[in-house]
Amino acid sequence: MSNILSRLNDDAADVLGSVQRSLVQVHSGGSGAGAGSVWHSDGLIVTNAHVAAGGPLRVTLPDGTTVPAQLLARDDNRDLAALSVDVGGLPTITPGASRSLNPGQLVLAVGHPWGVLGAATSGIVIGTGADWPDMPWSRRNWLVVNLHLRPGHSGGPMVDISGRLVGVNTMITGPDVGLAVPVSTVKRFLREAFPAQKAAA
Amino acid sequence: MTGTLAQFSTALADTVAASTPYVVRVEGRQRLAASGIVWSADGLIVTSHHVLERDDGLRVGLASGEVVSATLVGRDPTTDVALLRADASGLVAPALTEPDSLKVGHLVLALGRPGKSVRATLGIVSALGDSWRTPMGGRLDRYLQTDVVMYPGFSGGPLVDADGAVIGVNTTALLRGVNLTIPVPTVRTSVESLLAHGKVRRGYLGVGSQPARLPESVAQSLDQGTGLLVVSVEVGSPAESAGIFLGDTIVSVNGQAVRDLDDLLALLPGEQVGKTVPVRILRGGQAQELKVTVAERP
Repeated sequence: MSNILSRLNDDAADVLGSVQRSLVQVHSGGSGAGAGSVWHSDGLIVTNAHVAAGGPLRVTLPDGTTVPAQLLARDDNRDLAALSVDVGGLPTITPGASRSLNPGQLVLAVGHPWGVLGAATSGIVIGTGADWPDMPWSRRNWLVVNLHLRPGHSGGPMVDISGRLVGVNTMITGPDVGLAVPVSTVKRFLREAFPAQKAAA
Repeated sequence: MTGTLAQFSTALADTVAASTPYVVRVEGRQRLAASGIVWSADGLIVTSHHVLERDDGLRVGLASGEVVSATLVGRDPTTDVALLRADASGLVAPALTEPDSLKVGHLVLALGRPGKSVRATLGIVSALGDSWRTPMGGRLDRYLQTDVVMYPGFSGGPLVDADGAVIGVNTTALLRGVNLTIPVPTVRTSVESLLAHGKVRRGYLGVGSQPARLPESVAQSLDQGTGLLVVSVEVGSPAESAGIFLGDTIVSVNGQAVRDLDDLLALLPGEQVGKTVPVRILRGGQAQELKVTVAERP
């Protein structure tokens, strides 16, 4: 019988494994690359707008192949972008519900910090919502988390302990404080960008 | 598949949720509000001294969403503890825990309410020491350092253990770059003193000093290597009245050895105020004893 810490380790590794199957790397010409998640198996990818800014877009898929990508929609305000690659049958991320997240709950963020592929960081939810007096310039909904986001995490998935997407890693306000765009905002963005089609997922 | 991780996550979130009734917002400075802890159901609120930039016009944001006015009972800059009386009743006070139940490595949560809702960060107990003299001259019953992230506005909020019991008050103001928690026994002492006197009384001699090596012969006879060299004497202070001069070296107070400032401060608790104590000094290599009536630190 393993102790609780090794059971936690096993569980966390399982969650990570499932998330990495739908994790991509997004290149936009310049130096550095961001992350993204496959939202739909026919090649719809969700990432940050600031990751998809710049030159010709290419995406490195979970199997290591790099293919050209097309920008389908972009919202600089929400810092979200939808890309498409001409590859079918991709494993997808499972969307969760960021609204049901409470302070204290564990989350994991995955991406490619400083170019390290598929790296994970974990922590707890500091809070959700738009009530952030320390960020008076932001009246937006944020998922604020006590973990270590770094350049290269941007656009990547933040997931709950079941591996469901709860946010898109977007920025930091301190070395140990990461901000994610909540998945509810992602869903709204996709609904507006694609009124009748892929956002149905 | 994610059973243990899920249980862990739920336990953390439940602990935060159970703590929200007693974590309050303290509005006492220009910029971002800070946090506080309900200390008694009838409205006593403990917070950090350094988050109160003013003594008047203080307000407390309760878990109910209500914002009530509060008066300052007193503040203790030496331990960075302040006590407010909020215009409220029927509040929920937390369970408190003594630092003896803690070990280095234990999981702890820092909570705060800089806005409307409670926010949380997770960390572990990094260091747990014996009693510790703060740079401001206060004494903490235990030195308690954590690696929790002090989110903006978390000062004055609680550190809680795995059971949701309050371990103490978090502050970043006592040591630069270090998250310290003022443990419950120290908070309790400060609260009692603030309720009784409106402040935490400390004894006062009125000297500036620095440790100095004693001559070999004196060091041997006193069995102490250093004393406190007096480098300034405040006008009208107990030290001046007693005839202590610049250049004297204090070697004992009340029969207790004084090797450094920490020793001296430990010998001047609030109870000594008004008492006359023997102070042994070296002047020109000769030991002398003077009587000093301890005053209260301004």
